[in-house]
Order: sequence, then C-alpha cells, then structure tokens
Amino acid sequence: MQGFALAYMGAGIGLGLAVIGAGLGIGKLAAGAAEAIGRQPSATAQITGAVNLPLFLLEGVAILAEVFALLVLFLGR
Amino acid sequence: MQLEEAAGHVAEPFDAGKTIIEHVSNSPLSEPLIHLPPVFGIDFSVTKHVLMLWLVSTVIFFVVTFAVRRYLRQDRQIPSGFMNALEAGVDFIRESIVRPNVGDKWVDTYTPLLVTLFVFILGANAIGLIPIFDVLNLLNHTVLHSPHDSFFSKMLEGGVTATGNFNVTAALATITFFTIIIAGARAHGFVKHWKNMVPHGLPLPVTLFLIPIEIMGMLVRPFALTMRLAANMTGGHIAILAILSFVFIFNTQFGPAAGMGIGVFSLTLAALISALEIIVVLVQAYVFTLLSAVFIGMAIHAHH
Repeated sequence: MQGFALAYMGAGIGLGLAVIGAGLGIGKLAAGAAEAIGRQPSATAQITGAVNLPLFLLEGVAILAEVFALLVLFLGR
Repeated sequence: MQLEEAAGHVAEPFDAGKTIIEHVSNSPLSEPLIHLPPVFGIDFSVTKHVLMLWLVSTVIFFVVTFAVRRYLRQDRQIPSGFMNALEAGVDFIRESIVRPNVGDKWVDTYTPLLVTLFVFILGANAIGLIPIFDVLNLLNHTVLHSPHDSFFSKMLEGGVTATGNFNVTAALATITFFTIIIAGARAHGFVKHWKNMVPHGLPLPVTLFLIPIEIMGMLVRPFALTMRLAANMTGGHIAILAILSFVFIFNTQFGPAAGMGIGVFSLTLAALISALEIIVVLVQAYVFTLLSAVFIGMAIHAHH
C-alpha cells in the first residue's frame, strides 16, 4: 500500500516538474518571438519558422516526461 | 423501461480509469476482430486499430486517386474543387517543409514520402475524432443488443485512433529512421554517412566520447517521434473522457441532480477541448512531417 502511494507521489511530482520546465521553455520562446516580431515585423515568417522547431522539440521532451511519469505510476504499483 | 435496464447495467460501480483506458486502447488481443493464423510466430490477427489503418489507407487511396484522375482527364490546367485543396496541401509540404530542410537537390526525392506520411497521419488522427463507434455502441446498448461475441459488438470495444497506439507510431518512426540512414548514405556514401555523425577535427578522446552520445541521439529521435504522436493523440482523448466521466462520478456520489449540474460544465469543456483537438490533429501531423524532413536534411547537410 505504501509503495502504491509513493508511486502516485513520484508520478505527481515528476509531472509537476515537467510542466514547470516546459512552461518556462515555452514562455521564453514566446517572449523571444514576440519581441523579435515587434522589432522586425517583416521577418515574421522566418521568425515563426525558427521558433517552431525548438518548440516541437521542447514539447516532445515534455511529452516524454509525461509518458515516463505514467509508466512510474503503472509499473510502480 | 429502457432507462431501468440501463440503470441495471450501471449498477456496478463506475470505474473512470478502467472505462477511459478501455476506450483509448486497442481491442483486446485475446479477442481480435478477425482471427488469422500466426506466421513465423507473429500474430497477424486483425484488431480494431489494424482495421482503422486499413480504412484510412483505403479512403485516402480512393479519394486521392479519384481526384487526380478527374483532374488529369479535364481539358483545363486549373484544378477545381477538392483537387485545389489537395494541390495546396502538397505544395505547402513541398515548398515550406521539405525544400527549406532537405535542399533543392533532393526535394523531389523525399517529397512523396513525406506527403504520404502527412496525409496518412492526418487521416488516422482525424478519424479518431469522429465518434462513429461510440454512436454505434449507444445504438447497440439501447436498440440492437447484439450478442457479445459477434463481429459487430467486438468492433465496439477499444478506441479508434490508430495513431494513439504506440506500435503504429513506432512503425511510422521506423520508416523515418531508415529514411535518414538512406538519405545520408545516398548523399555521402554509406561509410561517410556514419563518419559524418561525429564532427571532424576534434581531439581523439572527445571523438571517442561523442560516439556513444551520437548513437544515442540517433535512436532517441525516432523514439521521441513515436512518443510525441501517440501520447498527444491518447492524451487528448483521455482529457475529454476524464471531463465527461465527472458526470457519472458526481451522479454516483451526490445523486442525479449534481450529475446533471456538472454535466453542463463538463459538456461545454469537452466541446472546447474537442475544438482544441482539431488543432492538435493538424499540428501533430505537421510536426511529424517537419521533424522527419529536418532529420533527413541533417543527414544530407552534415557538417564537414
């Protein structure tokens, strides 16, 4: 029963940490993109293209963290 | 009378987790839709996700072939109707995904593969949003009452989003994995491709240190592709179902009035998340294609 509770706790804490990291990353990316577009509105397409790829890679890492948190939860009990 | 019977069915306590997992997972392997004999120890039985894969590829094959044939038969060069959308989509993928990443020399070599991946993933994602089988299940529950082991009632078990199954996306990512190797080998030669993976001109200890990291990176890319697509597809469905299951949880905990009250919020939120899912469906197909193109481009334009 205690292992069960610990698995839940681990998954919850891990998910929270992943969300913090992903939120910080996406926030920085969005801030940078908005600032860059504000300075140079003519380069919007290029800036969007440059922002997209790291955004998706970051999202992939967050999703991986989510999957592993779920695995901890399912395998831990 | 129907209601009483339905209440009789629900009399067993509602388990949200079990219901949700049942809905997003494949039909149980012990009772597939069609039993096929195993070949070389591999079970080729047709489960629900396999059926969905066939359905998607059949629909795409016939729709695209029909549109293109009709376009080729007409006199004018200007496309009309569905062909317009198709051409715009293919042009978008070719010009803004493949060309900037892969380069002008190889763009026509890898566009067909990436367009196929995009259209297939988009179709499989989108078909998961249409609740055909859930409506059929409701019909079965209230009117038809087909026996448990019939083909029809087996079809109602399990989810319909084939791309929400990790095995399907792993297969798609394997295609990308081998395409990366083939692209590098065709651009630089088979041996040179492997040499390119480690930057040149570094001291020997650093190179030795980099080799395992690069091998890991090579394997992590398709793994990340697999997880991203499947987890996104499964995650959206789980979110919608979790919100909808509040209705049943409140119903059993606090009575029918609370269930109906929470139902107003649940349904609104679920509808909004479904709208978000439409965007996710498009974005995930785009992301898979874009990342495949980026990785192929990285193999072709390796640093010297």
